[in-house]
Amino acid sequence: MEYLPNFQVHRPGTAEEAVKLRVDNVDARFLAGGTDMIVNVRRGIERPSDLIDLTHIGELTEIREEAEGIRVGAAVTLQQLSDHETVRKSYRAASEAAGSVAGPTHRAYGTVGGNLCLDTRCLFYNQSEWWRSSNAYCLKHRGEVCHVAPGGRECFAAYSGDLAPAMLVHEARAGLIGPDGRREIPLAELYRDDGMDHLTMAPGELLASVLLPKETADIPSGYEKSRVRGSIDFPLAGAAARLRTRDGVIEDIRVALTGVRSWPFALTGTDRFIGQVLDDNVLDDLREMARTQSKPMRTGTVAPWYRRRVVGALTRRLAARLGA
Amino acid sequence: MKTQISLTVNGRRRDDTVSDNLLLVDYLRETLGLNGTKIGCDGGECGCCTVLVDGRARHACLTLATSCDGTHVETVESLAAKGRLSAIQRGFNEKLGAQCGFCTPGMIMAAEGLLRENPMPTEDEIRAGMAANICRCTGYVKIIESVQAAARELAQ
Amino acid sequence: MNAPVAPAGPVKSIGERAPLVDGPEKVTGRAKYAADYRSPGALVGRILRSPVAHANVIEVDTSAAEALPGVEAVVTGQDCDQTYGVLPIAMNEYPMVRDRVRYRGEPVAAVAAVDVETAQKALDLIEFRYEELPAYFTAEKARAPGAVQLHEKKPGNIERHAEFELGDVSAGFAEADLVREETFQCAEVCQVQSEPHATYAEYDAERDRLTVWPSTQVPYYVHLMLSRTLKMDQSRIRVIKPHIGGGFGCRTETLNVEIICALLARKARGAVSLVISREETFITHRGRPETQIRMKLGLKRDGRITAVECDVVQRGGAYSGYGVVTVLYSGSLLYAIYDIERIRYNGFRILTNTPPPGAFRGHGTVNSRFAFESMIDSMAEELGIDPFAVRRANLLKAPTFAANDLMINSYGLPECIDWVEKASGWRERKGKLGPNRGLGMACSHYISGASKPVNWTGEPHATVNLKVDFDGSITLLTGAAEIGQGSSTVLVQCVAEVLGIGMPRIRIIASDSAVTPKDNGSYSSRVTYMVGNAAIEAAQNLRSVLIDAAARRLEVAPEDVECLGEIYRAGSQDRGLEFNEVVMEALKDTGTLTVKGTFDTIPESHGGKKYRGAAIGGTMAFSYAAQVVEVSVDPDTAEITVEKVWVAHDCGRALNPLSVEGQVQGSVWMGMGQALCEETRYHEGLGIAGNMLDYRVPTIMDSPPIEVKIVECADPHGPFGAKEAGEGSLAGFLPAFTSAVADAIGIRPTELPVTPDRLLKLMEKKEQEARAQEKRRKIA
Ligand SMILES: Cc1cc2nc3c(=O)[nH]c(=O)nc-3n(C[C@H](O)[C@H](O)[C@H](O)COP(=O)(O)OP(=O)(O)OC[C@H]3O[C@@H](n4cnc5c(N)ncnc54)[C@H](O)[C@@H]3O)c2cc1C
Ligand code: SF4
Ligand code: FES
Ligand code: FES
Repeated sequence: MEYLPNFQVHRPGTAEEAVKLRVDNVDARFLAGGTDMIVNVRRGIERPSDLIDLTHIGELTEIREEAEGIRVGAAVTLQQLSDHETVRKSYRAASEAAGSVAGPTHRAYGTVGGNLCLDTRCLFYNQSEWWRSSNAYCLKHRGEVCHVAPGGRECFAAYSGDLAPAMLVHEARAGLIGPDGRREIPLAELYRDDGMDHLTMAPGELLASVLLPKETADIPSGYEKSRVRGSIDFPLAGAAARLRTRDGVIEDIRVALTGVRSWPFALTGTDRFIGQVLDDNVLDDLREMARTQSKPMRTGTVAPWYRRRVVGALTRRLAARLGA
Repeated sequence: MKTQISLTVNGRRRDDTVSDNLLLVDYLRETLGLNGTKIGCDGGECGCCTVLVDGRARHACLTLATSCDGTHVETVESLAAKGRLSAIQRGFNEKLGAQCGFCTPGMIMAAEGLLRENPMPTEDEIRAGMAANICRCTGYVKIIESVQAAARELAQ
Repeated sequence: MNAPVAPAGPVKSIGERAPLVDGPEKVTGRAKYAADYRSPGALVGRILRSPVAHANVIEVDTSAAEALPGVEAVVTGQDCDQTYGVLPIAMNEYPMVRDRVRYRGEPVAAVAAVDVETAQKALDLIEFRYEELPAYFTAEKARAPGAVQLHEKKPGNIERHAEFELGDVSAGFAEADLVREETFQCAEVCQVQSEPHATYAEYDAERDRLTVWPSTQVPYYVHLMLSRTLKMDQSRIRVIKPHIGGGFGCRTETLNVEIICALLARKARGAVSLVISREETFITHRGRPETQIRMKLGLKRDGRITAVECDVVQRGGAYSGYGVVTVLYSGSLLYAIYDIERIRYNGFRILTNTPPPGAFRGHGTVNSRFAFESMIDSMAEELGIDPFAVRRANLLKAPTFAANDLMINSYGLPECIDWVEKASGWRERKGKLGPNRGLGMACSHYISGASKPVNWTGEPHATVNLKVDFDGSITLLTGAAEIGQGSSTVLVQCVAEVLGIGMPRIRIIASDSAVTPKDNGSYSSRVTYMVGNAAIEAAQNLRSVLIDAAARRLEVAPEDVECLGEIYRAGSQDRGLEFNEVVMEALKDTGTLTVKGTFDTIPESHGGKKYRGAAIGGTMAFSYAAQVVEVSVDPDTAEITVEKVWVAHDCGRALNPLSVEGQVQGSVWMGMGQALCEETRYHEGLGIAGNMLDYRVPTIMDSPPIEVKIVECADPHGPFGAKEAGEGSLAGFLPAFTSAVADAIGIRPTELPVTPDRLLKLMEKKEQEARAQEKRRKIA
């Protein structure tokens, strides 16, 4: 029998109700599949007074083909997204990334929204209450120091969701619903590079959907993930790319990474490859670019220098695959 | 906080009042006495607690009982019909897919979910479908053979 | 009464691929494990653990917790002043700390309450005051001059220094054509059996009796340690073994969980269920210690080994546990696989402020075997001898005694080596697999039970009782602990075979101290060999009782009775008696039949006396194994994929080939985990991989096909010729794997596990060296 703090579960039928429940109570949290939230509650990292179950909100559970593209509800499961025919065909990176999260059971009920809003991870943070209290907690939660970089006031916990970089290369847009109504922003703007507070959503705001835009449909894309085991493991590093070449010349390119900073981010400066032949030099440059823009820290059991190396290797391999 | 839930567990309808913070695995084991579902880790890492909710595999250790209101929950106890082992159970029994047996209920439920969707999986598909379940005894070789044997039996 | 049908002859059970006798329980979810026991009103137990690694205890104040409504018992170190431990010579652990905390997570206090919430609240109310001491998390720091001693009687924090030299080792090196020396580093690993530790205990206050259902491999030790720590007469305790979700050695020792649960139950005067978390199970530990090995080998040009020198340092954790035995095994089992005379061994077991390791599958041998096989492989390469040839050049000839007096009566290693060479296509494929793909091979061995038990009482090693009654069913009573390895199945097979009857006629009750004969438990692969032999003897005794009865009924001499299993007859024309009829006859004067069989090891198997601790390693029989591993290495990410394993294991005789295959596959695969990705790690003594995400047990995606060949080199004393099958093939995986990596990319890792970061570092170093060399060449 597991000890869990007392909380109340709500099952709103509309997004607006969900937002209201959240706004009414600072200690309320959204709950989707629960594959991250319940783990964190069990570990005392989250101590919600209320959990707002989002999986019964109709609009959040559908994948709809719209004029602007494909709208994926936040409560759609990773399995549904990965298997969706149009997504598989036209947004390959998203399908591959969703299909690489955790294990098959997690994907059967873990959701797109939960994955995109996943908390950042660190081996000093994703531990039991006893463990963290024995280690004087840390900056991110209840503590005074960061055990990864004890001198600073910054948290370097790694964003480790697989789906976000894929969504970034598809230039997905995030549909948000908050106390002030609905808005849509580029997904990239959902994140900031701060391990303590990596989501930019306003208090009470929820992610309702992501739009995979028409403009990026059918451009060759993919996702590569590094992990020690072939399943279950979070990414040590992950790279998504979209790349179109004609006669070997790059026409369109975008690369995004996960696992190597506190946010998922698109590589800056890739535009300069447009018009160049995708040869070994360009591939090497891409590898270097991925490495230099990454800043993995000692937040996991695998050495950070390795994660930096491997994110370069993944990027290079992926670009070569897409260009072939 | 307590909530009234109505669901079916292994084909039987139930109406229960449960604490909001009650995990499905504890509801099954402690409230209903269905001890077949096992707990092997501190949350989501081993697959021992795998059950089917509305036909799909789910970790009972990361699921709240209240979330199962209105669903059909199936555990390993549901499989043997009239005391006869199901094809998957027979596969695991005869091919030694179970050694210590602790991962077995979760493994079998994962296999059950897999075979309902894909009755004749290839070896790679079996691997992919069972990849959230850890077994510490078998090295998985005989687990794969067990699922294959079950698929063959079901195909007949 | 039906006339007996034409007798079909005795039913065969040995050698059959019999499913487990308790398989149906396991696949239906009916099998009850310790955490499944509860009764209405049973209390929930919870343990408070130390936040610090090394400290003097000032006070454990439980008054507030005791005052909390719903709390029925609180216990601390004050409730138990008796040490416990697996080795009678090294009991230095208390179930809960008394004066001193020695590792982070060590139990400080425990509560039993009406529900988890109350139990948790009670823990939060306990005040633990302590004075911190310097703590040592590596063997090196703990050994350093001036380090505070963890235990009074252990100066220098040395738990045990084991040393021996047999033969003139220096002369051996002088004779060698090639001498090489290398250091190997093996990370600490943990069993991670699927079932977290759990105990259920009921205390009968009226009669002062205690019944305990522990998740143990050795119910007998639990019984002894409960009696000792609770100061209760053994006769008042009953230990019933539930189904066990694996163990792999960590449950050989009595664990604090079991004692604490019993202490709580007695104090609460009721029933307590204590189920600990996965993290706490990691903290309880008893895995394989972090080990550093310096291995020096001398080889003649023809591959013959002339001398071995081996230094081992094990990080032994905070308490003795099995430490002495582990460090002795690491030396003594350098023998008994190859024909080696001269070995110098120096092993140190160091006490540190980390959770104590214990006996892990392949106890003591695995890391030294890794180092040894790695050395012999790379040195052979240097001499231009192939890996198979170098092993063949050093084979033993059975029967024999190893230089340290270990008895070897059967030796199927040559056949194992031959088979893996052929099956893997070594000759045709080696060197032709293309870039980044390679093959490696190695050998290993293991004992079939330690010939001298830990608790020497003068009793036989194993006793089996058979009970036969009016219903014609046979109940096999054994203390042997079925923990998933299939021991119950194999014992039923043994009895069925001797009697020639079908297995369904036999029921087995394994390990209930009130019912079954005492047994030393499931460790060191002793059960099939020792208890199997006892079961055979019991069945033989029963058979002669039945034959005598049949002879009486048939009015013939016993020698004239033919036993066909279900039918006993006198001559082929006789329609004979049915089994039930024979039983009824046998019961006539005596009533319910109980017959017994026992087994004892022979003195020759007890190991030698040539050095202190030379008995460790003594066994009735060794199993042998050889394997070939094929890997591919991703040149960009340094990820290694194990593509396939071919393994041949000499188990003497496969009593149940299905089980043998399962055991061998499980062993090889567990070796793979240690080689590829498993390791515990500590941040100042706090386990950072105390979960199943950071401690990476391989998933089905990482696990290769494992083709098993059973080699049957019958052992003269084994049950039907059988020997060990569940451990011997583990150790070989590690060196076969690293030599496959060496074959694939020209780098032989000496540090385990070979995680991608470790390998990439080696790959980059090699590239740099190549570049530097190129540069020098250009300049020249
Ligand atoms: C063993 C294990 C392995 C894992 N491996 C991986 C992996 O390899 N890769 C990976 O990416 N993840 C992994 N995960 C994490 C997790 O399973 C997935 O990220 C999953 O997609 C999370 O979705 P969920 O619906 O379960 O989220 P929940 O747990 O329900 O929620 C996660 C977070 O998002 C918030 N949230 C959920 N939905 C919304 C919304 N619509 N709007 C605003 N906030 C929201 C929640 O409040 C919570 O903070 C793993 C988890 C486990 C237990
Ligand atoms: S990076 Fe530092 S502050 Fe952030 S979670 Fe890790 S230890 Fe805590
Ligand atoms: S108990 Fe391990 S995944 Fe649920
Ligand atoms: S059979 Fe023991 S863990 Fe799978």
